[in-house]
Parts: sequence; structure tokens; C-alpha cells
Amino acid sequence: MPDQRFRQLLEAAPDAILQVDEEGRIVLLNRVTEEMFGYPREELLGQPVEVLIPEELRNAHGGHRARYRTQPATRAMGTGLALEGLRKDGSRFPVEISLSPASSEEGFHVTAIVRDTTERKLAEDRFRAAQEQYTKKLAETNRELELRSREIERADRLKSEFLASMSHELRTPLHTIIGFSELLGEELEGPLNEKQKRFIQHIHNDSMHLLQLINDILDLSKIEAGRLELRPEPFDVATVVTESLASIRTLADAKMLSLETVLDVPAALEADRLRVKQVLVNLLSNAVKFTPDGGQVRVEAYIRNGLVAFTVSDTGVGIASEEHQSIFDKFHQVGATAKGVREGTGLGLAITKRLVEEHGGTIQVESEPNRGSRFTFTIPLQRPGRKANA
Amino acid sequence: MKRVLVADDKPTGRELVRTVLENSGYEVFEASDGSEAVNQAQQLQPDLIILDIHMPGLDGFGVIEKLRRLEQFAATPIIALTASAMMGDRERAMAAGFTGYITKPIGLSALRAEVARLLR
Repeated sequence: MPDQRFRQLLEAAPDAILQVDEEGRIVLLNRVTEEMFGYPREELLGQPVEVLIPEELRNAHGGHRARYRTQPATRAMGTGLALEGLRKDGSRFPVEISLSPASSEEGFHVTAIVRDTTERKLAEDRFRAAQEQYTKKLAETNRELELRSREIERADRLKSEFLASMSHELRTPLHTIIGFSELLGEELEGPLNEKQKRFIQHIHNDSMHLLQLINDILDLSKIEAGRLELRPEPFDVATVVTESLASIRTLADAKMLSLETVLDVPAALEADRLRVKQVLVNLLSNAVKFTPDGGQVRVEAYIRNGLVAFTVSDTGVGIASEEHQSIFDKFHQVGATAKGVREGTGLGLAITKRLVEEHGGTIQVESEPNRGSRFTFTIPLQRPGRKANA
Repeated sequence: MKRVLVADDKPTGRELVRTVLENSGYEVFEASDGSEAVNQAQQLQPDLIILDIHMPGLDGFGVIEKLRRLEQFAATPIIALTASAMMGDRERAMAAGFTGYITKPIGLSALRAEVARLLR
């Protein structure tokens, strides 16, 4: 290559390029080398290349050069090490160096291409600092979240403990109020006049109402806290329907209501037996409560699409369409249609709906004022997540 | 006359059960806590014991554990009486050796029926 073009190429490079001879003396360098290390060309030519290396590494460098002589190859110098260059003024700067062997008639030479990586290193340092800060922040946030979740768990546990003990504390005095009012009403301790009998009945009724409220609130709190544990077991639908009817029969008989059942469920239902019964009893009590004397209450159950559908219908006062949604809300009491009926807690249907939904079913109502009501709820035949043939 | 021991830390609770059972023709004794219940039981050797689960000090579970260890109470009917309404409580009581389980507030007829059933 003509010397002129070689020179141009050398000077056009953005990196420092220098060549050393077999003894490690600098024999060639470009302008970038002068600028990078702060020496004029003539000061460097003929100098051992070690002048450009931090003092503490100079002794070892001779050995490195000798080894390179035995295994010459184009490669990066000191891979993985933080290499530094030494300027004339004694300051240091980070570098990346690549080496190539260059044999010529003058013997074995080594070409070194030196890149000042100050800028890149700064950027890397900034990036690393930002990354570290981010990681630290993330760890802090994680710690906070963990603390928070532990707090929530603790609050949740305290809440259920509170509910359990509150229920216990409320039921204890109710036990004596209900018990003694029933005892007085039995007149075993002496006869009561009509008024006294009526008063005792009021006390008894309202304390039973209070008990129902306590039970309902406890139920609802458990459901809302996600603490309701369903205990699914296979059971016979007809038996549960019969048991549910038995618990409302006295009230139904008092109102001369006819009770009808139409059951077609040949398979066993796998669900929480007590909860399904609770739903049925709830709907049946409402039906009895809102149906005038001499009316009819009807229970049906059949299988449809892997679900058991239960319907409880009555010939009662009915529900206006604008209330079809809100009757399932907490503390909603049926309005205009329910004159003269007042003893619900307003929680029954809210609990009923949640119990059905916990089972993976749905509940809906069809009704018109004075045309009776028809509640339908479904419960999957098998527990969700379990196959029929499993 | 069959003898019934009633243990409950609330005097009103004891009086209620006592009145109901005396009306039914039982002889009723009272204990106001767990240790007293254990002592009374040993002295009186009642035909049936009704234990409130929730008593300060030795609770109903503690009492039944002590009693069931004694030969003389191996077969005595013991009813748990509790104001707790948590699921699984009944199973726990039965596993601890109770022979009957009644929740507060009691229905009088339920109490009479349970006692009669166990003393038959």
C-alpha cells in the first residue's frame, strides 16, 4: 500500500492506533494517539509502550508481550478486565484495546488499537446506578407489599375472631331472654292473663327475630370475607326438599296453604347439603310469608344441562318488576306489596343469592304484583373443576 | 329421681335449665365453673351432665377430658351447651366425647327431648 494512502487510513480512524516492535518500543502512532495520551508524536516514538500503562501494571506487561509473541492472534486485550490508559499528565482513563500481530521485514510487530471508553463507561455507570436504584426501590415496594398483605391477613383473622366472639356474646343473653319468655308462655309457673300472654309472645318473637339477624349477619360476613367453606357431599335432592318442607309446614298449615312438590332428579347432587337446604328453607319461608291464607306453594326440581334447577313458586302478593334485582340486596325489604308482613331481616335473599353463587349457580325471580312469585336457582350437579367420570 | 348436673358460669343460664328440668321431674344440681363441675360430678355421681363449653378457667372441653378419664364417668351422658354457632363445633364436641349437643339459645322442647333421649 502506498505510504500516503496508508497514512490517510491511519489518521482517519477514530481510535488510537500504534505499533510496537519486538522489544515493545513504539514505532508507529496516529494523531489520535497523541491527543488521547497527551504526548507529541516525537516524544512517544522509540519509547517502551509501557509509558502509556499505569505504573503498577508495567512490570507484568513485559510478560504479557512475550506470551503474545508465542500465540499471536487478533484479539481483545485483557478480556473482562477494566483496562486503563495513562496520560502524560498522570491522569488515567478507561480503554478497550485490540491487538493484531503484524510481521514485516523489520520483524515481529504488534498493532494496538486503543479506544477511550470514558464516555461509554460513564453511560454504563449511570445505567448501572439507575438499575441499582430501581432494584432497590422494587425490593422496598415488595417489602411494603408483603407487610401490607400480612397486615390484611391479620385484620382478616381478627375480623373473623371478632365475629365469632360477637356472635357468641350476643347469643348468650338471648339464650336467657328466649328461654325465659318461652318458659313464662308455657304457664307452668302460673297462669297469665291474655295481655300478659301477648306481651310474652312479643318478647319471644322479637328475640327470635334478633337471633335470626345475628345468624344472618354472621353468615353474610363469612360469605363476604370469602370465609364460607362449602362442604360438598353427594345427597338425595328429594330428602332435602322433604326436610325443608317439614321446617315450614307448621306455618303453612296455620295459613291453610297447600304444599306441592314435583321432583325429577334421579342423580345425586354433589353440593353443601346444609347450605342448599338453607336456600330452600329461605325461599319457602318467604313464599309462605307472602302468600295469603288458602294459597299454594310449590317446589320443583329437575336436571337441566348438568345443573339441578329448583323452583319455589307461590300464589302470593308478588314483586313489582323494578324490585326484581334489589330484593337480592342487603337489607332490602319488599316495599308496597308487603303490607302487614314484617319480620324478615332483609338479609335472607342476599344470603340465598350468595350461597347459590358460591356453588357456581344462579338465581332469578319471575313475578308480578298479585300474581305470585317464582324463584329459580341452579346448582351444578358436580362440584366445579371435577369431571363427571372422575 | 334422675339427677342432672348443670355447669354454666352464668347464673341465669343455670336457672333456666334448672327450671325446665325440674318441671320435667329431674333433680338438678348446679356448678358455676369447670373445676366445680368436676368436683360436684364426683360427689353426686349424676345420671346426666350438661356442660357449658365456654367457661372461664377449665372450659367444657377441659371438664369432659377429666371426667371421661374416670371409670365412673365412662358411660355418663354429657351434653355440650354452647352459644357458638361455628361450623364444625358440633363435630369437635362429639370427637371430645360429648354425647349430646345443644346450642344457645335453646328451644325448651329441644332441651327436654335431648335430656329424655339420653336418660331413656
